[in-house]
Amino acid sequence: MPASDIPAPAIELSQVVKTFKSAAGEFTVLKGVNLVLLEHEFVSIVGKSGSGKSTLLNMITGIDHPTSGEVCVGGTEIYRLNESQRALWRGRTVGIVFQFFQLLPMLTLLENTMLPMDYCQVYAPGERPKRAQDLLALVGLQDQAHKLPAAVSTGQQQSAAIARALATDPPIIVADEPTGNLDSRSADVIIQLFDQLAGQGKTIAMVTHDASLTERTRRNIIIVDGELVDETVGRALPLLNDRQMLQVTRLIQRQTFQPGAAILSEGQAVDTFYMIDSGQVEIVLKARRGGELVVARLGPGEFFGEVELVYGGDSVASARAGANGPAILATLSHRAFLQLLSDSPLTGDAIGKIVQARLAENRAADRRRR
Amino acid sequence: MPLSAPATQPLIALRDVVKVYATPAGDFPALKGITAEVYPGEFVGIIGKSGAGKSTLLNMITGVDHLTAGEVVVRGPGDQQPVSIHQLGENALAHWRGRNLGVIYQSFQLLPMLNLVDNITLPMDFCGLYRPFGSRGRALELLRLVDLEGHAHKLPAYISGGQQQRVAIARALANDPPILIADEPTGSLDSLTAETIFELFEKLVGQGKTIVMVTHDNSLAPRFTRRLYIADGALVEAESYASQ
Repeated sequence: MPASDIPAPAIELSQVVKTFKSAAGEFTVLKGVNLVLLEHEFVSIVGKSGSGKSTLLNMITGIDHPTSGEVCVGGTEIYRLNESQRALWRGRTVGIVFQFFQLLPMLTLLENTMLPMDYCQVYAPGERPKRAQDLLALVGLQDQAHKLPAAVSTGQQQSAAIARALATDPPIIVADEPTGNLDSRSADVIIQLFDQLAGQGKTIAMVTHDASLTERTRRNIIIVDGELVDETVGRALPLLNDRQMLQVTRLIQRQTFQPGAAILSEGQAVDTFYMIDSGQVEIVLKARRGGELVVARLGPGEFFGEVELVYGGDSVASARAGANGPAILATLSHRAFLQLLSDSPLTGDAIGKIVQARLAENRAADRRRR
Repeated sequence: MPLSAPATQPLIALRDVVKVYATPAGDFPALKGITAEVYPGEFVGIIGKSGAGKSTLLNMITGVDHLTAGEVVVRGPGDQQPVSIHQLGENALAHWRGRNLGVIYQSFQLLPMLNLVDNITLPMDFCGLYRPFGSRGRALELLRLVDLEGHAHKLPAYISGGQQQRVAIARALANDPPILIADEPTGSLDSLTAETIFELFEKLVGQGKTIVMVTHDNSLAPRFTRRLYIADGALVEAESYASQ
């Protein structure tokens, strides 16, 4: 990939803390969140009710403000703007889609779609109806443009809300439970639409509590009690429950290996569980006459070291960073790994099956190298 | 006509209103010939279970949806003649609606990125249906009416659900329409907060507004000045509704 094509960060949160004060005392909803979303990404943010996911979105849209920390969206540190600057910035930079659509009931879908252009003073007044009509056509509502929201289905209302979110051509779309009020077929239409928009270069952050939707996005952020689960942990160990994921997140360490660098040598004692964050790891067996045999290439979200940790003993193969780039690994100690297997029987079973499969592969490779 | 009904001209009259939806499984009659009248100054509750046809009935009164047969006639204070609203063209209907109706839904439909004043002025400023001048002053006046003047410059996220619904009511009143139509306006509020909405509605009725409200919650029945019970697309007597 040429350097100029590397996506830039669209949204960056650093050490974002949000504390609400109430009669019952202070309640910290976001506990130092760090998050970077890149341009063109379609990311889902999942968490239970009360986990802080909507508050997190409100930090990105500038609807609410952090108690401490920085939020940079599209290159602007949004909390350094004053209210009216931020309102204008928001209108042009972020399209927002809500669970309950928030269409004005007395305006037609076309008028609802024109509203942000009017409010933000973008596009010449004469162009606005045509642009709104085009956007409604994009979401499949070309024939409903002159209807009021109550005259169309809820799925169509949400599609119209997406057309409205696109009105000022914002680079970023933020959606809070956009399918929460829709049947599964209408929900599917909305997700396809987001997918298409991400393909056209929009950055999309979607909050949902529906885990089935997360399979549809390229990246999935899990929030638990105001903290983000490490994404590599979420991908490598999806069967852990929320709390367990957060616990592992707190225990992991990160190590970077330059291209080709040795991570483990065959026969070396293993005391670490390795999850691949980025880059590639080659699993290598020694072959005759000093040669070698690459038995597997593992990528992000995959792991190794579990065979030895489960069975005890020295490494059955070598591991090294792939030749194409550095490998970043998230590592967990032997003891923490075994604790995790006993805390999460589902994860234990799944890893047990992987261990069996990998041992069988190694035996087959052993026969080949002899 | 029942003896208790006021002896003035009806504000809204539904005559044999039929609505049939064509579905892949055949025609579905959502409304089976509804005849009813609403008089000025009434607070009418349309009570029915989910699927009984109550929202469809509201859509007939607002002209949001077309009827299959029958007629809806409304005589607003500004109308020389009663208007058969389903005979109007789209544009004429939109203008008529803008002058005569304010609509409130269960979800408040406020724009979360706009403060409360802007939420009220935006639709006023936006299209010709609303007063072009003094929209800001009018918005503040309306916020005072719903006791939210002190919150005028807050975003919706900073006020409670009940307060958001009051803003939605203020917005519905922007053009001073004689009729308010409310579809489950307390449906997402707790009972204490719902009470504040009722108090506001009662105040508005006291000031001469006519309110038609739909609810599935029969416990709210005593709050209305008159009740219409709907089941399976037809109006039924209170007694037979209760024995369902």
